[in-house]
Amino acid sequence: MTMNVTTKYAGSTAVVAVNGRIDSANAKDFDQKLSEVIDRGGSRLVIDCGDLTYISSAGLRAILLAIKRTNAAGGGMAMCRTPDHIREVLEVSGFTRLIQVYETVEDAEAGFSG
Amino acid sequence: MKQFSRSGRMTDVDVGMEVDVAIKADEPRRVAKLLQRFGQENELSSKMLGRFELALDEVLTNVITHAFPDDAVEPSIRVALHLNDSRLKVRIVDNGPPFDPLQDAPAPDLSLSAEDRPVGGLGIHLARAFVHTLEYERVEGCNCLTLVQPLETQP
Repeated sequence: MTMNVTTKYAGSTAVVAVNGRIDSANAKDFDQKLSEVIDRGGSRLVIDCGDLTYISSAGLRAILLAIKRTNAAGGGMAMCRTPDHIREVLEVSGFTRLIQVYETVEDAEAGFSG
Repeated sequence: MKQFSRSGRMTDVDVGMEVDVAIKADEPRRVAKLLQRFGQENELSSKMLGRFELALDEVLTNVITHAFPDDAVEPSIRVALHLNDSRLKVRIVDNGPPFDPLQDAPAPDLSLSAEDRPVGGLGIHLARAFVHTLEYERVEGCNCLTLVQPLETQP
């Protein structure tokens, strides 16, 4: 397994830090992890991409599903600390229209309280 | 290993490798690693390699998932990397029934809201965006996908 996910809960916000690579071989695990967090009440979800090295369309699929789920639960989703090459994938996929991308975890958390 | 000239001077780099790929979900990752090593040994830029890796991953994942809908043939997928002075080229050849993933991949509507965005359908869109040329042909009973990236002349 080349991906690690660490989740921290801060009030009503869950911060999911992803480390490594998300591709077609492990995107289902990532999807499952996000679902678990949302089901535990983390309908405000921040994905910390600081240590994310790679994402393919399979990983974007999991992110879109999580955006749909958090929106439906009355929450929302944000991303932060996105490396430039990951940011480019988000832009080309039109995901920067669907999800706010912040510089820091704190900025992303604050985005929910606005 | 011969050095690349970034000045446009002719050198004679001409290297390649081939690898057989199984119908398994983690094979694109193995091929991605081979591509990275091949590119690094030949001093390609990490930015170009990263973009090419994504395009190759998307196309190869598509082939592994869709090229063999039944057991009519013993599946064979072969990936060939080739680098010369002007471009990096990868060919993916499989012996499945005729299947053109590029034809059946309409550009996604990126203006839709999250609620209306369909899940999936981004792989070929990303591949097209991240590699200069992406082509399909049916050759001698095989599907052949070719990805080509010209090398930058500026560092």
